[in-house]
Amino acid sequence: MVNAMIRIHVDEDKCIGAGHCVRASAKVFDQRDDDGIVVLLVGETGNELEPELRKAERLCPSQAIRIEITQGAGSSQSKQEAG
Amino acid sequence: MPDTSNSRPAGPPAFPFQRTCPFDPPPQYAAARAAGAVCPVTLWNGRRAWLVTRHEDIRAVLSDDARFSGRMANPDFPAITPARVTVDRNERAFVGMDNPAHDAYRRMFTREFSVKRLQALNPKISAIAEGLIDDMIEHGPPVDLIPALAVKFPSLVMSALFGSPYEDSEFIIRCAVARHGLTQSTEEAEFKARELAAYVRRLIDTKEASPGDDMVSRIIDEHVKPGKLSRDDFAEIGAMILRAGHDTTTNMIGMGTLLLLQNDALRAQLTADPALIEGAVDELLRYVSPVQFSPRRVALTDVEIGGVTIPKGEGLFMLLASANRDASMFSDPDTIDATRDASRHLAFGFGIHQCLGQMLARFELQIIYEAILRRLPSLRLAVPLEEIRFKHDMQIYGVHNLPVEW
Repeated sequence: MVNAMIRIHVDEDKCIGAGHCVRASAKVFDQRDDDGIVVLLVGETGNELEPELRKAERLCPSQAIRIEITQGAGSSQSKQEAG
Repeated sequence: MPDTSNSRPAGPPAFPFQRTCPFDPPPQYAAARAAGAVCPVTLWNGRRAWLVTRHEDIRAVLSDDARFSGRMANPDFPAITPARVTVDRNERAFVGMDNPAHDAYRRMFTREFSVKRLQALNPKISAIAEGLIDDMIEHGPPVDLIPALAVKFPSLVMSALFGSPYEDSEFIIRCAVARHGLTQSTEEAEFKARELAAYVRRLIDTKEASPGDDMVSRIIDEHVKPGKLSRDDFAEIGAMILRAGHDTTTNMIGMGTLLLLQNDALRAQLTADPALIEGAVDELLRYVSPVQFSPRRVALTDVEIGGVTIPKGEGLFMLLASANRDASMFSDPDTIDATRDASRHLAFGFGIHQCLGQMLARFELQIIYEAILRRLPSLRLAVPLEEIRFKHDMQIYGVHNLPVEW
């Protein structure tokens, strides 16, 4: 049995460095020192972080963050969605 | 061509509207939200523009850079005053650009406003706040909180961050007000815009010769010297940062403090539990929404919003104050509730042009509201509310005066 996981996708090209994601979830997001663009500290987390990750996703002004619920790392479902 | 204004013999109503209550947006906003997603209006020059009033629609338009342009030099860009036409046409900073140019310039400045960098600046911001409240206490009541705190605090913070000497703040504010007014002449607005850019251009030369620990010196090193940013472009962007850093935060300090003074329950709640202040900052931003007539866009093609077609080439105003009172997003929207999650407010806009300095503004407001509540617990208005002059004459809403005692 596999617990639900959350995979986080960021698009550096869309990011404008507003920093909402860092405020929402400093465990998962950071900003690059040289230009303030998003850095993903962890690419996949347990679903206990879902509320703060959803907040980061909806507050991002340039829609550079996407949250994907998966059935765990490397499952066929998440591979298909990512592909 | 279908034209909704044809059904109104008198044509669309004139915009801007007047407020009937100083704490609420004009009542036409709520009526427009209820009646439809967008509302046609007539500007001072007889041109038609469209008001976008719902939270969801404003978010959608500001996210849709393929169909809406924010390029201010576009002759179709809607302007709230005659002076604004000239100011827009002369705008050289990335606030008036579409992508890809916008992001290329903005990214040179985003690190200055990153959350970590601003957190590191917080002790300095707190020390500035404490010092100004020391000065107020030493002076003794009554004090007009606008010059004593609302203007001085962001000026000192911007001076420390940007590197502009504090004694130049009055000049910078005069330049900002000339742009943000509703009544100034085109000549004055244009002159003050040129003057401020020239001031920053001279500051760049000064910092190049004698660098300091400030934004101007860092940008020179990182972007000007390697040839990525011209000195003239930096001067225009610097002028934009200075204008925005002074005038907007000042108005949120004035209006936010007035709302705290008018609302004993809110003040008691925040005093008892200062951890609520961080969320209360967003709630007050939602409730006040000081930026009244931006962002604006031009439709690049015929676009339908909520069943109404905006013809290509027509201008749109995003009414942030309307989005922030939209009951489909915020329950009981006309009430201040420090415990609600107000984080989806649009007071700083949305999309690629969302306010560059918003995190700095949030930290400044959190620090100053906390300091006011803690150090001046008996703060109250020193005059009847009727003597407070609200900024009906400005594009950025606030109060001109706030005499207080304690």
